[in-house]
Amino acid sequence: MLLFVSVLTFFFVNLSPGGPSSIMRIDATAEQREALTRRMGLDKPVPERYASWLGAAVRGDLGTSLLTDEPVGKRIADRLPATLLLAGVSLGASIALGIPLGVVSALRRNRFVDHAVGLFSVLGLSVPAFWLGIVMILVFSVELRLLPSSGIVTVGEDSLADRLAHLAMPSVVLATTILPSVVRFTRSSLLEVLGQDYVRTAVAKGLAPLVVTYVHALRNALIPVVSVIGTLLPRLLGGAVVTEAVFGWPGMGRLALEAANGRDYPLVMGITMVVALVAIVTSLVVDLAYTWLDPRVRLAA
Amino acid sequence: MKTPLGLLIALAIAVSACAPQPGAPTGAATQATTPVKGGTVTIPIVADPTLNPWSPNSFVESIFVNRILFAGVTKPGKDLAPVGDLATKWEAAADGLSWTFTLRDNVTWSDGKPFSADDVAFTFNDVVLNKELGANGRGNFANVLKKVTVVDPKTVKFELASRFSALPSYLAYNAGILPKHALSSGNPVTNNAFNKGTPVTTGPFKVEKFSPGQSLVLTRNEEYFGDKAHLDKLVFSIVPDANTQIAQALSGEIQIMLLDNKAAVDRVKSASNLKVASRPLVQYYWLALNQTDERFQDVRVRQAFMYAINRPAIISSVEKGYGKVANSAITPALAAYHDPSLEKEYAYDPEKAKKLLTDAGWKIGSDGVMAKDGKPFKFTMDVGQKGILEPANELIQQDLKKVGIVADLSSQEWNSYIQKVVVRRDYVATVNWWVYPSDPDVLPYYHSTAAGKGFNIPGFKDAKLDDLLQQGQAATDLEQRKSVYKQLQRYMADNLPYIFLWYPEEIDVVSTSLQGVPALNLRDGMHYVQEWWLAKK
Repeated sequence: MLLFVSVLTFFFVNLSPGGPSSIMRIDATAEQREALTRRMGLDKPVPERYASWLGAAVRGDLGTSLLTDEPVGKRIADRLPATLLLAGVSLGASIALGIPLGVVSALRRNRFVDHAVGLFSVLGLSVPAFWLGIVMILVFSVELRLLPSSGIVTVGEDSLADRLAHLAMPSVVLATTILPSVVRFTRSSLLEVLGQDYVRTAVAKGLAPLVVTYVHALRNALIPVVSVIGTLLPRLLGGAVVTEAVFGWPGMGRLALEAANGRDYPLVMGITMVVALVAIVTSLVVDLAYTWLDPRVRLAA
Repeated sequence: MKTPLGLLIALAIAVSACAPQPGAPTGAATQATTPVKGGTVTIPIVADPTLNPWSPNSFVESIFVNRILFAGVTKPGKDLAPVGDLATKWEAAADGLSWTFTLRDNVTWSDGKPFSADDVAFTFNDVVLNKELGANGRGNFANVLKKVTVVDPKTVKFELASRFSALPSYLAYNAGILPKHALSSGNPVTNNAFNKGTPVTTGPFKVEKFSPGQSLVLTRNEEYFGDKAHLDKLVFSIVPDANTQIAQALSGEIQIMLLDNKAAVDRVKSASNLKVASRPLVQYYWLALNQTDERFQDVRVRQAFMYAINRPAIISSVEKGYGKVANSAITPALAAYHDPSLEKEYAYDPEKAKKLLTDAGWKIGSDGVMAKDGKPFKFTMDVGQKGILEPANELIQQDLKKVGIVADLSSQEWNSYIQKVVVRRDYVATVNWWVYPSDPDVLPYYHSTAAGKGFNIPGFKDAKLDDLLQQGQAATDLEQRKSVYKQLQRYMADNLPYIFLWYPEEIDVVSTSLQGVPALNLRDGMHYVQEWWLAKK
């Protein structure tokens, strides 16, 4: 799987027009371009470059960034924790908020609460993250001066409170990219389960409605929600690119943007590999969560 | 995140403009006039800098900080004419082929080692002139500088291949001196412990901490050879989004910045904690008409373009009025050389443009398009997606249409654009700009030897122009240089090697509490950060 992704990315990246930024400058001379092309090994054919990249990559060496001459592994390792923190907090918040909101909507179907939640979900899905980000900065940083507008920590003031203040706006913005989906899937899945025979049986047995809802129905309703969360992770990482750029968050998303704009081939490859790895690992985790939620999967296997 | 963003930000700004400004001072701020020591100033940059002025990866985001960290042999004076930095005086030999610079004797590197003539020789002989390194800015020296010899520890001699009276100006332009003792082993432009860590420097501030993707913190260099800086620290905050930078200036998180998005200038002006200043730049926009295309070889056609394009309208639209019409390559920022008498020429006159085209044998057809020998005047303009190039091209397209010239626009991502237009020279017409060292010597952009491969993008070749450019390089006397460059401007305006468009001005946004910032464009102003100070509130 990773091999397939790497072949595809390598050839697509090298097909894109233009070259690394240090070569494609209007004020670089022809002689400078030649020297740089040779130094970066770009004068060799693409298959040969792929073979040498792959040979090094299996040994854990992702090459050298063309933009900064630093090892790609180091550049990614510098940025990965920030993205994991931001994505983790956003995901956690989306689940912690999204599931209860979905449950409330389902139970109060077609009532005011349901409509209100539905409206906010549509809004959340349709408002672009960069716009929401800018509006939040203007309100909370410029007008109210409550929260810092950019970065992960204030220089020379490294406290937990300061870090949380920096985390607040980006994680809210990033959470809005997936929260509406979590709410809507929880709601529809729970409604479907509530209409099933075994739920009616449980109600008929005289179990308390709360027990029926939370113990019997919700657990079954969550199974599709878990798989949806698995598919939302790529969207979360995509949203991180925009969110990180607006809030100057020093993560992988911004690094990916820099790498793509600067045609930093080894860095694009390295980031793609790491993201592919994250995607594969999470789908594995989702599968494992399945077996825990639904014993039938375990038996069938 | 291109055009719609501008609209949305305008909307977002409108929302915020309705609310009152908290923390706005009620009375007039009391202005102290004696500098106060202490304080931190934060400046935004868009990406991680590379702390080495000669690294090929040292892009525009690195210029600010490298000009602070690495003193050069000379630096731009407050009128942009070169003044001494590491050198105290200099002199050209009678034949103009060698220049002797006397260096300061009280300079130490930030690691305590003494600075000497060896460092200057190393920087030029081993870094700039080493072809294999592809050093940034090498093009400014490669063709003219033979080598630097050490006369004694405090004297260096620059030996030239031809007369080059702009040498002191070029030595002031992104030409910081590197420490030989720290870089002589290994590749001096890709040393990461240096470029991305703690470089050894000579400037008024030195690196305290570099956090990739976040910030670069500088502290005052107490061993600096000149007047010590007033500020304790300078922080370069890495903020990639231009709108976030504006928001940070409004909220007081940053104290000084370049405002690239001129559309936001009114919002910034209305903020009580900020001042706005416009500064001339050594930069001009141009339209290159490829001289391998027969149609553009006729000077009347090129003059017709000058009359057809409504340049004041472009300046007021895309630059919000911050710019001046250009008729030559020598900008008003170079006040000693710029000829203001040319400013009134080529006023917008589409009728005159049509007449010039008719004189050149073009006839307007029934469809309103000029044609010659049955072929319509039609071509494609390549447009790079950067800055204001796209809207400017659209305005030019409309103006040309009014005189019967059809220009189709082909918009491309920046790297692909450079590949096509600059590297392969596969274009007919294109708009772009030049930024050059603060000296009127523009030979690399106009000389016939640079046509087709160097910076002479249109490939214009003219013996008289070559001669004037060479005379300018040979004239060491200031009055003589002034007279040559005045003739050059006249000749450029008449013959139009490029179609000159406009000289942009930059907008600097400065906190009202930040004092001592010289009236220079911000990049050149970086040579004077030691004079900045913060007024106590």
